[in-house]
Amino acid sequence: MKLLILSVLAGSMALAQNDPASWTSYGKNSLGWRYSELDQINTKTVSKLAVQWMYQTNVPGKNETTPLVFDRMMFVTGPNNFAWALDALTGRLIWSYKSAPQGGLNLCCGAVNRGFAVKNSRLFKVNLDGTLLAMDATSGAVLWQTAMEDYKKGYTATAAPLMVKNLVVSGMAGAEFGTRGFIDAYDAETGKRVWRLYTVAGEGEPGGDTWSGETWKRGGASTWITGTYDPNTNLIFWGTGNPGPDLNGEVRPGDNLYACSVVAIDADTGKLKWHYQFTPHDVHDWDAVADPIPVDLTLNGNPVKALIQANRNGFFYVLDRTNGKLLNAKAYTKVTWADGIAPNGRPITISGQDPTEEGNRTCPGMGGGHNWQATAYSPQTGLYYFTSTERCMLFYKTTQEFIEGQWYQASTVGRNEPGGGRILALDPKTGSTAWQFDTISPPTGGMLATAGGLVFAGDAEGYLIAFDAKTGKVLWRFQAGGTIIAPPISYALDGRQYIAVAAGQTMVAFALPK
Amino acid sequence: MFRLTFLLLIAAACRAQTNNPLGDDPKAAETGRWTFRILCAPCHGIHAEGGRGPDLTRGAYSAGDQDKDLYSAIARGIPGSEMPAYGDRLDADAVWRLVSYVRSLARHDAETVQGNAAAGESAFWGKGGCGRCHRVGSKGSGIGPDLTRAGRQRSLQYIKASVLTPDADITPGYGTVKVVLKDGKTISGIERSIDNFSVQLIDLNGRYFSFVREDVTSMAREPRSLMPSYEKVFTPGELDDLLAYLVSLRGNR
Repeated sequence: MKLLILSVLAGSMALAQNDPASWTSYGKNSLGWRYSELDQINTKTVSKLAVQWMYQTNVPGKNETTPLVFDRMMFVTGPNNFAWALDALTGRLIWSYKSAPQGGLNLCCGAVNRGFAVKNSRLFKVNLDGTLLAMDATSGAVLWQTAMEDYKKGYTATAAPLMVKNLVVSGMAGAEFGTRGFIDAYDAETGKRVWRLYTVAGEGEPGGDTWSGETWKRGGASTWITGTYDPNTNLIFWGTGNPGPDLNGEVRPGDNLYACSVVAIDADTGKLKWHYQFTPHDVHDWDAVADPIPVDLTLNGNPVKALIQANRNGFFYVLDRTNGKLLNAKAYTKVTWADGIAPNGRPITISGQDPTEEGNRTCPGMGGGHNWQATAYSPQTGLYYFTSTERCMLFYKTTQEFIEGQWYQASTVGRNEPGGGRILALDPKTGSTAWQFDTISPPTGGMLATAGGLVFAGDAEGYLIAFDAKTGKVLWRFQAGGTIIAPPISYALDGRQYIAVAAGQTMVAFALPK
Repeated sequence: MFRLTFLLLIAAACRAQTNNPLGDDPKAAETGRWTFRILCAPCHGIHAEGGRGPDLTRGAYSAGDQDKDLYSAIARGIPGSEMPAYGDRLDADAVWRLVSYVRSLARHDAETVQGNAAAGESAFWGKGGCGRCHRVGSKGSGIGPDLTRAGRQRSLQYIKASVLTPDADITPGYGTVKVVLKDGKTISGIERSIDNFSVQLIDLNGRYFSFVREDVTSMAREPRSLMPSYEKVFTPGELDDLLAYLVSLRGNR
């Protein structure tokens, strides 16, 4: 057995930002790599991986959570505002939290939640009504609760918060309901708001001229997936969603900043340092919320401080994270709307690709390409792992009057065309595919990379799969009995490495036999 | 969530009334259209002219012709059909707006079928051999889609296309899979389940098979229906008769 790196600082694990034995942030480290340094489960041993425990939540709905593990406990958020603390060794319930969602919530895509953040044994999560709350990790007691915005106006929240020093940074959801997106930072101690960055430029602000009239007030650009933080540049990177209304851009001529962009934010002040817009004037609902990953690369012989993202619009991007300039972009899936991305960063668009009343077929479909599902970067292989849906769609538009708090999408897509997907390993230096695994259905789950030379991913039909991170060879699989939408995590306890994932309504933990 | 859904359904049911409170307000119909395109168009078509779901422009509806019948069909679904309930996603006002939209479409010039249903019934069970795969009531086989309510569930256009070009749109749950065994033998059948590592299927003789990926040479979905085209089997007259029979299937046999 290979040496297992262990932290014995029980009780203080929550302090460690990247203790290999624990998992204390949505993306494992603040860079969002989802790379576990544990290597007991590796390419040679993984075939013996076996279930150690299951916890059945009995709460229906989609389970998109990234569980946190520290102090021997696992902290799991579920649909409909539920949360549980489980014993990480046995799966036994320690405490549970519930708060029945209000009626009249405007949820585009299910009553989901994607996880906790933690600082000093204090947990933070959002509830569906757009509130942010702090909880005591030992008891589950609520310490403070802050309303970020008014849910009656269409604002909701689903993403795991991001800890940046003493700030709890949180996004919102609701770009299908005529909201104005933002990213907020709250004092972890008091719950008081420290700063807010609106992700839709207002009238008179820089970028405000990329909207017309009052459309910015309902410009969308929601922030429903957790961003990343680079301590070296003190920048927070956060992806933004579609402009509203989604599919009819006629009412909002212009680029619509900062929708479908990544924004780089000064962590202390909340000021916008730079932005990069992947899809100017988006009319296909191609949110740019996929994990923005800071990673240092060598491009054409030159070391660069990069930020990489597999965008929903079908292109993989490499940006300079110090200034937001485009370094490279390459399509990773079938793309019919653009001929590539010009050196100035703007897409070379192909005309006639906008939605029409009668329907216009465009690739990729509404969900991408790669959507929101968690990605992984392995410093061991130097590869970036993510999923992609391989399906084109008919995009329809219609005119629609805005009514506050109501669905504001201005039409729809045809979903009858069959389509599958791929799990991809991409070389971020070149944008070319190192390996791929074709899936029968559009992918649902997120990724985990480990120092054991493995990549784990769950699929739509309930399999948790272990791949050789270098070659993509399937080394192990387990049928968990329910669609896996969540990303797997890894942690260690008493000298054993675990892999855990939410499948259907169940948390499952795996380890090697003793 | 369960409780919430339940309460909303009760609320929707209590507010259901005989006539649409929005009347024939064109504004209500227009806002209903926005919702229709998102929720209903995938089955009923972007212009509500039917497809997998019935044509809604004919002014005649399977669940009843009164406003309250349409309301109920949308809010509570139609049990035993593919029409789901939307009462937990739409408030009463939104359902009525959908009713307004559907009403605004009615052409009242239903496509008529030329053929003779009785002759079509004979062709169905006789020359066509359709009962080898399809069921009507308690007669026939369950390998293919149950046609007991085909006249309610599908538009005439859709039924005709299904008979002539079965590959054009395959009813969910009736896709074709093909497995090539290690010895070169091929098994094609109707997909009962498929995932990245296994497949379960029923062949046209009704035999059930299950395979794991490692044990076979290949397994894959095929973009075709196992049903052959009947374009060359039936004369145009026989086809009209068959369509008359299929359209007459309303679930009462």
